[in-house]
Amino acid sequence: MADAAVTGYAEALFAVASAEGDLSAVEDELFSFAQALRSNDELRSTLADSNVPAARRLQVVDDLLDGRASATTSVLVAMVVGAGRASELPAIVDAFIEHSAASRNKAVATVRAAVALTADQRDRLAAAIKTATGKEVEIRVVEDPSVLGGVVTEIGDDIIDGSVRRRLNQLRESFR
Amino acid sequence: MRNRPIRLLAAPLLALVILVAVAGPASASAETVGGCMAERFAEAVETYHGDVEEAAHDEAVQDQLEKCFEAPSPILPELNEIIWGGGAFLILFVLMVKKGFPAVQGAMDARADRIRADLDEADQAKLDAQSVKVIYEARLADAKSEASRLIDEARGDAERVRADLVARAEADAAGIRERAAAESDAAKAQAIADLRAEVAAIALGAAERVVQSSLDAEVQAHLIDAYIDEVAGADG
Repeated sequence: MADAAVTGYAEALFAVASAEGDLSAVEDELFSFAQALRSNDELRSTLADSNVPAARRLQVVDDLLDGRASATTSVLVAMVVGAGRASELPAIVDAFIEHSAASRNKAVATVRAAVALTADQRDRLAAAIKTATGKEVEIRVVEDPSVLGGVVTEIGDDIIDGSVRRRLNQLRESFR
Repeated sequence: MRNRPIRLLAAPLLALVILVAVAGPASASAETVGGCMAERFAEAVETYHGDVEEAAHDEAVQDQLEKCFEAPSPILPELNEIIWGGGAFLILFVLMVKKGFPAVQGAMDARADRIRADLDEADQAKLDAQSVKVIYEARLADAKSEASRLIDEARGDAERVRADLVARAEADAAGIRERAAAESDAAKAQAIADLRAEVAAIALGAAERVVQSSLDAEVQAHLIDAYIDEVAGADG
């Protein structure tokens, strides 16, 4: 469960993005930035390092997002990093996306696959998840080479693992 | 002991007999011939009123002088000597009986008592020595038996210690063997497990490389489609 700070920041991001009127684009950009932060330890530690001056950290954020994200997204990331919450930014973004989807009466399905899913695959997967769980979901795809092949879907605490990695792990367990 | 008074009386009687036998010659020898002649010639001179020459030519006087050459009795003393000697002897004898004999008797008794006491003391000392000897012999026997007992006990202890050491050594050896066997089994099992894990890792690595090389875009799309169909098929 997200703590109060994470929830508070997520609601703030949602309020700002809604007020600016480009909620969907901000969700996609923040999700991409959060995934980049999760996969890059050096970037995460730099932005979370309190010994690095705030101006330097904000400059790093500007360098990363300049021309790649909307002004709203840049401002929101700068707000979180400037407040010294960079280490919690992925969790804040997850809460923000869940909050945003909930506002549309949907859940968020985080899909990890070795390759990007086509739009058709996303739609069919969303329909399949609805068929399986009864939930309307929004698909968020994370490209993860460690999956090797197939898909791993996370909806809240539920995980549907159809990856080649899982089958290899099962094979490894069978050797023991 | 009962004849002692008789012997004590016999001694002075024997001394008296010897005195009577010897006193005569002793007294005779005490009155010399010259003295006798001088005495008798003085009596003759006195008879002749100082006429020495008349007295010297008188035959009677000469006979008297000749008698001076005759020896007195060699056995019998003079009577007065016997009287005085006898009186002195009796006084001495009475003194001896009254004073000397009790003193001698007391001294003899005391000496006898002392000797008897010494003998008793010696007997007692002998008895004491014998009792001490018996005690020492008993102690020596006790010491010997104690030494023998200690030796036996020490032998028994040594035997028990040896048996304990042997038993402990055997137990230790058995424990070492068991541990060695257990360690050997464990090492064997660990080696098998390690080998199995190593083989599995090699096989999985090879399988992963094969899978990765075979996962082209078409296969990936097929896997995703199959996953979607699987999720859709898992209704509820």
